[in-house]
Amino acid sequence: MPPPPGQTRLPDWDELKLRVRTLIASHRVMIFSKSYCPYCNKVKELFSSLHVEYYALELDVTDDGSSIQQILAELTNQRTVPNVFVNGSHIGGCDATFQAYKDGSLQKLLGDNQITEPYEYDLIIIGGGSGGLACSKEAAALGKKVMVLDYVVPTPLGTSWGLGGTCVNVGCIPKKLMHQAALLGQALQDSRKYGWQYEEQVKHNWETMVEAIQNYIGSLNWGYRVSLREKSVTYLNSYGEFVEPHKIKATNRKGQVTYHTAETFVLATGERPRYLGIPGDKEFCITSDDLFSLPYCPGKTLVVGASYVALECAGFLAGLGLDVTVMVRSILLRGFDQEMAEKVGAYMETHGVKFIRKFVPVQVEQLERGMPGRLKVTAQCTEGPEILEEEYNTVLLAVGRDACTRNIGLQTIGVKINEKNGKVPVNDEERTNVPYVYAIGDILDGKLELTPVAIQAGRLLAQRLYGGSSKKCDYINVPTTVFTPLEYGSCGYPEEKAISEYGEQNLEVYHTLFWPLEWTVPGRDNNTCYAKIICNKQDNNRVIGLHVLGPNAGEVTQGFAAAIKCGLTKELLDETIGIHPTCAEVFTTMDITKSSGQDITQKGC
Amino acid sequence: MAQRLALQRLLWLPTRGPLASHGRAFGTSAGRRSTFNVQDGSDFQDRVVNSPKPVVVDFHAQWCGPCKILGPRLEKLVAKQEGKVLMAKVDIDDHTDLAIEYEVSAVPTVLAMKNGDVVDKFVGIKDEDQLEAFLKKLIGA
Repeated sequence: MPPPPGQTRLPDWDELKLRVRTLIASHRVMIFSKSYCPYCNKVKELFSSLHVEYYALELDVTDDGSSIQQILAELTNQRTVPNVFVNGSHIGGCDATFQAYKDGSLQKLLGDNQITEPYEYDLIIIGGGSGGLACSKEAAALGKKVMVLDYVVPTPLGTSWGLGGTCVNVGCIPKKLMHQAALLGQALQDSRKYGWQYEEQVKHNWETMVEAIQNYIGSLNWGYRVSLREKSVTYLNSYGEFVEPHKIKATNRKGQVTYHTAETFVLATGERPRYLGIPGDKEFCITSDDLFSLPYCPGKTLVVGASYVALECAGFLAGLGLDVTVMVRSILLRGFDQEMAEKVGAYMETHGVKFIRKFVPVQVEQLERGMPGRLKVTAQCTEGPEILEEEYNTVLLAVGRDACTRNIGLQTIGVKINEKNGKVPVNDEERTNVPYVYAIGDILDGKLELTPVAIQAGRLLAQRLYGGSSKKCDYINVPTTVFTPLEYGSCGYPEEKAISEYGEQNLEVYHTLFWPLEWTVPGRDNNTCYAKIICNKQDNNRVIGLHVLGPNAGEVTQGFAAAIKCGLTKELLDETIGIHPTCAEVFTTMDITKSSGQDITQKGC
Repeated sequence: MAQRLALQRLLWLPTRGPLASHGRAFGTSAGRRSTFNVQDGSDFQDRVVNSPKPVVVDFHAQWCGPCKILGPRLEKLVAKQEGKVLMAKVDIDDHTDLAIEYEVSAVPTVLAMKNGDVVDKFVGIKDEDQLEAFLKKLIGA
């Protein structure tokens, strides 16, 4: 029975080989042993006497122990135990190890100055965000001595925040809460049609919202501190950087420096918003790092960028009643399905967000200080000589995020990064080119920048390192949602990618417009919400892409992501009975294909 | 040995009165003398652990709604006790080490301290009758 598509389940041998190699590579001294073997004990005692920590796998009590012994025989031409590796190099059995000790080659392999100094920690994690915290707690639960360092370099405007990383402090959490604030504004408008009567003018108070959101974030920061303490993870609010192999320097807010060593390190430093590199950008512009704790209402705002950060922020700011313009250099939501991206933009445009396309700012000047002040933005057209000048209270830059990998001493210990974007390339076990250094989260080159992905990767990494697991993080068919005013949820391939990968003739795309029942009474946007699925005709009409534009898109998409992981096909979807009346049920009754050219406009109920 | 200790205790007392002005206190004029904000670890040691009178320690946070209700309520009742008990306020974000040392997980957490030992504790908000009973028990016991 072939594995369901979207899953890379390798045959056992390869998995075991990988596991053996990982064990050899990630432990300074690796001893494949058997619990009753006296020669194995001799070797373990030798290392203990040298105060050198070793990791021993007892093959007589491990699953697949005999298979591992066979793999070792293939790798090293040695069938017996103990089978000893030091820093990835094969030494041999008991005799060979003692010989290497006598002639000094063992000490050389270990590194002279480390004979008498065991590492202070089993694991040090640089970065206390979604990935770092999940990894640390899992490792500690498996009995390891773990340290987490977290330090927020303040923004150019001085904004900073507590433990928890981007998601908790300046990302997903405050974003969704502000998005909700905006949706409630819309709900208030709809409510009159449902019979609610009130005389007062409904206004929005920015400061009240920010205070409530920041209070909640404060409780989360504290919660993380407590949970680290409960799991006996050492936490340092210090900036960590490598100074030597296996050693970091930690500098706290007051400039006090301490040094720490560990057997294994995990990089989880995340990213920070990019600036444009134009006059006035750092002095006068804000980014998402500043927006969620801004102590004053931003007023008339220019959002620069077309990422989901830009569109989500522009979306809720407009929903709160502010005058918002989005300046876009080329396309919206690069990397996402472009048909859906354009629909997201179109909805925003018909709901009060102005778009200036094909322009980039070249200068920001301050006309007047204040909270907010007045800024003058000069922008250049990307396709011609036109110049635009306009005044705004606030300019929010959302043009991308850069990985925090340039100033943490990676070059000192030889960790390679992608020079173009600063991200860290890793293998499918999140290991960098340096055997004792791993990386997770947003800094990974070529992987999705999402909290749940980082958490999953962090947990599985700890389980592989210390729990004897071989399960790897599955990056395929990860569902996402963009929380723009009209939400967009997706799982699997964007249509363009599916076409280039499988060929248009091998795909069938089903689609439909729909009108959420709740929108009928207030007379909101008919024929705007949209859903489509992309099916692989050559594989039983397997659903390889699912996209929905509509309210509660995140809630709708989550369940279908699990179905896709189980190998969902069009037939199975059709056999599933819908829940009525909901938006999600449209996926169970999709009949019209794009290829038929039929009209999907909704007329009646 | 015992003699020397007795002498030390005699010499100590006058200079360590709880009326040493140090640290911001607030509230009503009665409150001003019986409630204070802890400044740092050694302040806590001096004014709470080594306090001759029993002290209620209110661990609170800026971001905590119930703390804002419990704080004033407790202060008012402490003031009513006419100096028999003092109240120390500790902001857990400013004094995280202290909060961790006393194993504070959720806020508000209120400890009853006598002679440097924690003799009673509660977490969460309480009404005036419950607080009154808590204080009476601390003073009486």
